[in-house]
Amino acid sequence: MIAELAKPQASFQGFVSRLSKFVSRLPLHVVLVGIALLWITPAFGLLTSSFRDAAAVASSGWWTAFQLPFEFTLDNYQAVLTQNRMGVSFLNSLIISIPGTVIPILVAAFAAFAFAWMRFPGRDTLFIFVVALLVVPVQMTLIPVLRLLTNLQIAGSFPAIWLAHTGYGLPFAVFLLRNFFGALPRELLESAYLDGASSVRVFFRLILPLSVPALASLAIFQFLWVWNDLLVALVILQDPGKAPMTVTITNLVSSFGAQWQLLTSAAFISMMLPLVIFFALQRYFVQGILTGAVKG
Amino acid sequence: MAEVRFEQVTKRFGDVTAVNNLSLEIPDKEFLVLVGPSGCGKSTILRLLSGLEEVNEGNIYIGDRLVNNVPPKDRDIAMVFQSYALYPHMSVYNNMAFGLSLRKTPKAEIERRVREAARVLGIEDLLKRKPRQLSGGQRQRVALGRAIVREPAAFLFDEPLSNLDAKLRVQTRAELSKLHQRLGTTFIYVTHDQIEAMTMASRIAVMNDGVLQQVGQPQELYERPDNLFVAGFIGSPAMNLFEVTVRGDQNQTYLDADSFRVAVPSTKVAMLLPYSGKKIIFGLRPEHIHVPEFMPPGTIAAPVQARVDVTELMGHEYYLYLLNGEKHFLARVDARTMPRPGQDIEVVFNIAHMYAFDPVTGKAITTTDG
Repeated sequence: MIAELAKPQASFQGFVSRLSKFVSRLPLHVVLVGIALLWITPAFGLLTSSFRDAAAVASSGWWTAFQLPFEFTLDNYQAVLTQNRMGVSFLNSLIISIPGTVIPILVAAFAAFAFAWMRFPGRDTLFIFVVALLVVPVQMTLIPVLRLLTNLQIAGSFPAIWLAHTGYGLPFAVFLLRNFFGALPRELLESAYLDGASSVRVFFRLILPLSVPALASLAIFQFLWVWNDLLVALVILQDPGKAPMTVTITNLVSSFGAQWQLLTSAAFISMMLPLVIFFALQRYFVQGILTGAVKG
Repeated sequence: MAEVRFEQVTKRFGDVTAVNNLSLEIPDKEFLVLVGPSGCGKSTILRLLSGLEEVNEGNIYIGDRLVNNVPPKDRDIAMVFQSYALYPHMSVYNNMAFGLSLRKTPKAEIERRVREAARVLGIEDLLKRKPRQLSGGQRQRVALGRAIVREPAAFLFDEPLSNLDAKLRVQTRAELSKLHQRLGTTFIYVTHDQIEAMTMASRIAVMNDGVLQQVGQPQELYERPDNLFVAGFIGSPAMNLFEVTVRGDQNQTYLDADSFRVAVPSTKVAMLLPYSGKKIIFGLRPEHIHVPEFMPPGTIAAPVQARVDVTELMGHEYYLYLLNGEKHFLARVDARTMPRPGQDIEVVFNIAHMYAFDPVTGKAITTTDG
């Protein structure tokens, strides 16, 4: 009987402790939700605007769109997609971004492995030098890089922009991957060497599979950077036929004047792919951020 | 044939000499344990043998082959690491098969060897699992299995039991000994735990500061330590050591420890006379100190007064931490003794089992009989 008396007591105490935990966390949650709403609001406003026609956008604020009568339209998206070669631009963005992500990561992985696990003269100095390049602003390098590419007679071609993005992406990629590779247990690699693996085998069968979180997060960083890049594309790719979405969207402003309802829909179209990739690889993204922070 | 030979091997890391002029022969099928405190060079010796480090001076032979410049994978040795070093993204089966697949061993042969090793180690049910799904003991067996399938000329073990809990350690010690008998291959085993050394080794090599102190069978090291370091390292609890002066003459020699003195047995007098008037280090193992009521027959008793400081009941015996003047020492006495901390008692030293060491060189002057 005592036990039965104790049961409601225990569950009531459990309820009280959960409630008090919730209440004590409430201010924090309120703040967090508030900040999140604040952050999302501008983007949400743009999204709403992209579904409104030019007249509505010019005459009233986006928040009014949620009152009757609802006047949402898909005209803007239709206009953007069918005109101004947006499809071609999307393809160009892909052609630039995918190799512009894969090549730097591959090169950086090889370099990072050498920096982390091979011994050669000047290794540490060279590594510091590569990482120090993070400090150099992109803008300072545009003219020399363009000149170099022109001398190589590839300026204006896709390989040129792949090379450029490889160069710009390497310092960060090498830094991130070298730290990650270096944190792998030495005995794991030694065991593989004793088992008969060469350095190449160790790299492909051990290091790469174990580094998937770091590689995935690096892929996200690099892809986002290249996909959203305007400056490098403008400078290096002069052919309008090769223009990525960023360039094409910018041109919308000049060709259509201040028709920024088209601008918003173009921006969201451009945002789609990175968003998809981000949500697909989200957990690696978080892991990647923590990689340097924890353990190290 | 897998005899291993070190000839005057030296290894330096910058200013530090990790291994100093080591010469050691390990016959085929021996279970040699390299033991010593942290930093003594034992792991470095293992790494030199495996090829993960290169020698600065000297030669290493496996069989009749000079292997100084042979890469690790061609030395025909397998190593079990302290942390097991299992490949986390591969199944147990693939972990064990990895080395063989790299050497282009036929699939059927790989299958045969892996299953056989798994059977011997009792891990057949675990072959599909990944390392993170295994307990510490199971991971250790997989690491062993990975070495066994290679069928190497010698197995190298780098403190493989350090990461196991005490009970599992005792169990695995016995299993390793059985495995050695079963496989009949040379085992070279590194540990800092002298109990592991004493229980498993056919021979023990004691290292300190990169220098080989003594190599021999466990009993030999226990009963006839060559120097102070080996005497204090081998045996748990450690040998009691006292700084004493040799006094007296041919007819009556005794050791003067200021707060007590013990008579030297006739068999030891000749060896100690050259040190008359000089200081030596006198050693006596705790199991050779008794309380008078329970001393075994045949004890050559030298009585010493002492105060009981701490008592530890081990079940079958007491460890008594005793104080004589400024001197602390340990006795293992019969469990029927009822010691109390603070009690003044008389203990007897069985000086038939005394050791003496030169205080300058640390070398043994005389050793116990039988």
